[in-house]
Amino acid sequence: MSEYFDSIKKGVSSVVGGMSITLKHLANATRWREETTIMDDDNYFNKLNEGLVTIQYPSEAIPTPEFARYRLHNDANDCIACNQCANACPVNCITIESFKATPDDMEELGTTSDGSKKKLWLSRFDIDMAKCMYCGLCTYPCPTECLTMTPVHDFAEVDRANFIYHFSVLTKEKEAEKRAKLAKYEEEEKAKKAAAPKAAPATGARVSPLMAKKAAASADATAEAPKAEPAPAPEAQPAKKLPPMMAAKLAAKKAAAEGGATQTPEAKAEPAQSETPKAEGDAQPAKKLPPMMAAKLAAKKAAEEAAKKQAEGDGQSTT
Amino acid sequence: MRLFATIAPDALAASAAPVAADNAWVKALESFEVAGVPVGVWAIPAIPLVFIAVYALYVGVYGERKVSAFIQDRIGPNETGKWGLLQTIADILKLIQKEDVVPAAADKPLFVLGPLIVFVGAFAAFAVLPFSSAFIGADLNVGVFYAVSIVSVEAVGILMCGWGSNNKWSLFGAVRSVAQVVSYEIPASISILVGVMMAGSLSMQKIVMSQSGEYGILHYAVFQSPVAWLAMIIYFISALAECNRAPFDIPEAESELVSGYFTEYGGMKFAMIFLAEYASMFMTSVILSVLFLGGWNSPLPNIGPVALNDWTNGPVWGAFWIMLKGFFFVIVMMWVRWTLPRFRVDQLMYLCWKVLTPFALLTFAFAAVWELYVR
Amino acid sequence: MAETLEYAPKTRLSQAGADRYIVEKEIETEYMTLNMGPQHPATHGVLRVELVTDGEVVVKATPYMGYLHRCFEKHAEALDYQQVIPYTDRMDYLSAMCTEHAYVMAIEKLLNIEVPRRIEFMRVIVVELQRIASHQVAIATYGLDIGAFTPFLHIMRDREHILTLLEWLCGARMLYNYIWVGGVSHNFPPKFKQRVAEFVKYYRPKVDEMMALLTENKLFIERTRGVGVLPADVAINYGCSGPMLRGSGVKWDLRKNDPYSIYPELEFDAVVPDGKLSIIGDSLSRHLVRCYEIYESLKIIEQCIDKMPEDPNFDPHAAVPKRIKPPAGEVYARGENPRGEVGFYVISDGKGTKPFRCKARSGCFVNLSVLPELAKGNLISDVVAILGSVDIVLGEVDR
Ligand code: SF4
Ligand code: SF4
Repeated sequence: MSEYFDSIKKGVSSVVGGMSITLKHLANATRWREETTIMDDDNYFNKLNEGLVTIQYPSEAIPTPEFARYRLHNDANDCIACNQCANACPVNCITIESFKATPDDMEELGTTSDGSKKKLWLSRFDIDMAKCMYCGLCTYPCPTECLTMTPVHDFAEVDRANFIYHFSVLTKEKEAEKRAKLAKYEEEEKAKKAAAPKAAPATGARVSPLMAKKAAASADATAEAPKAEPAPAPEAQPAKKLPPMMAAKLAAKKAAAEGGATQTPEAKAEPAQSETPKAEGDAQPAKKLPPMMAAKLAAKKAAEEAAKKQAEGDGQSTT
Repeated sequence: MRLFATIAPDALAASAAPVAADNAWVKALESFEVAGVPVGVWAIPAIPLVFIAVYALYVGVYGERKVSAFIQDRIGPNETGKWGLLQTIADILKLIQKEDVVPAAADKPLFVLGPLIVFVGAFAAFAVLPFSSAFIGADLNVGVFYAVSIVSVEAVGILMCGWGSNNKWSLFGAVRSVAQVVSYEIPASISILVGVMMAGSLSMQKIVMSQSGEYGILHYAVFQSPVAWLAMIIYFISALAECNRAPFDIPEAESELVSGYFTEYGGMKFAMIFLAEYASMFMTSVILSVLFLGGWNSPLPNIGPVALNDWTNGPVWGAFWIMLKGFFFVIVMMWVRWTLPRFRVDQLMYLCWKVLTPFALLTFAFAAVWELYVR
Repeated sequence: MAETLEYAPKTRLSQAGADRYIVEKEIETEYMTLNMGPQHPATHGVLRVELVTDGEVVVKATPYMGYLHRCFEKHAEALDYQQVIPYTDRMDYLSAMCTEHAYVMAIEKLLNIEVPRRIEFMRVIVVELQRIASHQVAIATYGLDIGAFTPFLHIMRDREHILTLLEWLCGARMLYNYIWVGGVSHNFPPKFKQRVAEFVKYYRPKVDEMMALLTENKLFIERTRGVGVLPADVAINYGCSGPMLRGSGVKWDLRKNDPYSIYPELEFDAVVPDGKLSIIGDSLSRHLVRCYEIYESLKIIEQCIDKMPEDPNFDPHAAVPKRIKPPAGEVYARGENPRGEVGFYVISDGKGTKPFRCKARSGCFVNLSVLPELAKGNLISDVVAILGSVDIVLGEVDR
């Protein structure tokens, strides 16, 4: 019996207690939210201790910190088309297409804001923001820091196609013109090389597999295609088609079979592609090589010291 | 025994009410005809109907949203019109435009009729609510009895909704609801009887008149007997349950039964059920204030020459007071809703049969003794 | 099939003091199959529970899941070690930091990396903040399941502060990608530590208020006390972990029992219910464990703030390996998530930058598997209460 009255007593008292809490909140509803940000207001928690806390979203918004990770932005004038961001992205939402500039265009291509030279025409730099998961991994390896995440967080679209952001500054006409120019230039180079055969496929090693495939498909790049991507194409294409697990195993097998000794083009290309960008990217905040230098270095290494490099890479990973 | 004797009309004279309910407005309306058409008679039920609509719009939906928002540190509707005042109207417009969907598997007649009956049940009780000393739809001599019984019609409507929807969740909701409404009528009726006993009448107007006097609030039934407050609280709790309001909202428990018996409803049918809920909230609040808090009597006392009570009494003031009291309890119901969690079915029944009913009976017995021997 | 079902496991219900539903049947009634979810307000996402009921009493409950399956483990095999981290965020999206931490610990173990001491403190602070935020959601939605709406929004108001803090720290509000192998992505901004300390001070009274409004409410206690009692041996047999296991009175907290990071240096308790307010093992116990763990986490954060080494020129990337290419081997690392033990079993073949296999052990998944056991013989309303107290995040259950 006493339990019965006890539970009634508890019930009444807890109900009254709860109602007094809600009444307090009701009474505090006369206090509107004060403007404040957590970043620079020492009184932040006192200001938001009581009273209404919501804001009228579209007309007011809580300021986001300046390095908030929302919409991606690429300053295409600074982009050297090095493809490292595309490699870093886990969901492959960055598509880059580029082609070599002829030496006489270097002037027109200009330099990035940090003074390094550009060598490639960026014909396409698309980010599919609908696929993006805002992880920010693409921004870290960027050597020129041109790819950034901005605090713009409200960019809903009606049409999904609008989520593909095009950052390339090259117009269609100009692209066609430059491509034609390149084709012509390479034609001439070929002729020259026939005289003194010496191939230096420096850019080839840095062209992404995806890109290479696209380039191969594109009609007006027929002349340049076989030259520009000597290495990665045969390796990369099966990898694209196979289920990733199998592909990974295949690659592993291949690598095991080849070891570090054989100097096949595949072996050369692989470390150049997957390793050097990583090394640069991860080291980026600490020390920063001038990007062009790093790229040159990578190309040189790829061309000359593939086997040595592989051994080095194995050693590195255990640190 | 005096308990039964008091129902005789002459006993009423003893209470010497300074304000007499003459139902003047109703009488005037009744005789109002245009070209032989009794427009006035039609207007009598139309007035509460319009009132329900306006009240549900503003105190009901808008008030509820604002109260809940403030309790939860939010602002609530504030974009449509000044302070969001047009929000409910926008909502109604939206509901009207909605397609009137009847699920293919539903039992169509029941599905369509259900919400109507729910609404009619709640609305019919407004006939006996004394809105003022001059206005009451029908001054029945068994007004309270009528109100208590007509509300039960709601249960039929709810069962129709739940069964007609042909949805298991709806059926659960309907069964729970009916069990709940029927059970809670018992403590509710017993505590109503306490009030009725103290007034000595079943007529709403007479109950109100029995509580008027120059000291205003002191004449209210709740201060006339040491247990009246308990009866009032029991009635209030039972009223919550009868209106299916939280913490007794298990028939619509959104986290368990999706939306209970109106899961399948949309558009105006849904609005109808909603309207019925708010209508019965107001109705029970008015019955509560009629029985225990003096109905349309002013709470202000006459203090010597400052005759506050006399100044604030009269048909128009009466309407003001009763609405104030009614709205107050509606808001308390909202406040309770936004504070408490929900009961479980068995706990609900436990509360009804093992707590409220015994206490109501005790109160009733004590009140009877008090009425007989003390007052 | 319904006929063969055993009706109301009497003994366990009686043990739990919950034998009030055991009714003697006089008339043969038909069982009813009820589909709860995947679109149901109380299933916390896209879980489907098939209930066989006798009136309102549940005879059998079968959870069906997989609606949110995203092939985490297979994805991980195609991604670099670093690239997997954002995917671990998305497993238990309410406690992304904690899951990240467990994964990163696995990779660090594989690589044999020493992490700077300051990094460990930073990690523990964010992980504990995350634990509070996660428990807040669990408690808030539990209140919602029971029908209390207001505590939900009060709690969300406070959770907002944690999310704002973390957004300030790393730019994202829920899926952080903050804890990296060997480091973290961002150093603490200036004043961040101070602000966290202020938050702790601000939040303590708010927890008290929440407890008064929700946990101590008689209606709430009545709804959850003695509902879904999980005896300790059953919990252990099923492999439950986290508040689910501690709610049954087993003092098992990986931060204590298999210490990692800097937890051994910190003073805190593994919370177990004392059985005063609740019956040990019931839904209320699990809820109470979560409530008191918030206090413990606040304690941990305070200690970390005091003890954290200061270093103005600290580089959070100093120990981040330039290239993650672990030697062949396999490793299992686990952490105490708000929802139980989360572990990552990673195999490296030593040849690539991608894991050969990455298996995730999810606490929710295991905890959810007890549901049929708990739901049997309870009312539908109780199934909601039980499911809420198990506190699942479908993202982690399905992965
Ligand atoms: S933020 Fe992440 S998902 Fe988005 S583009 Fe960058 S790497 Fe890809
Ligand atoms: S990493 Fe930077 S420079 Fe390189 S392609 Fe991407 S955006 Fe351009």
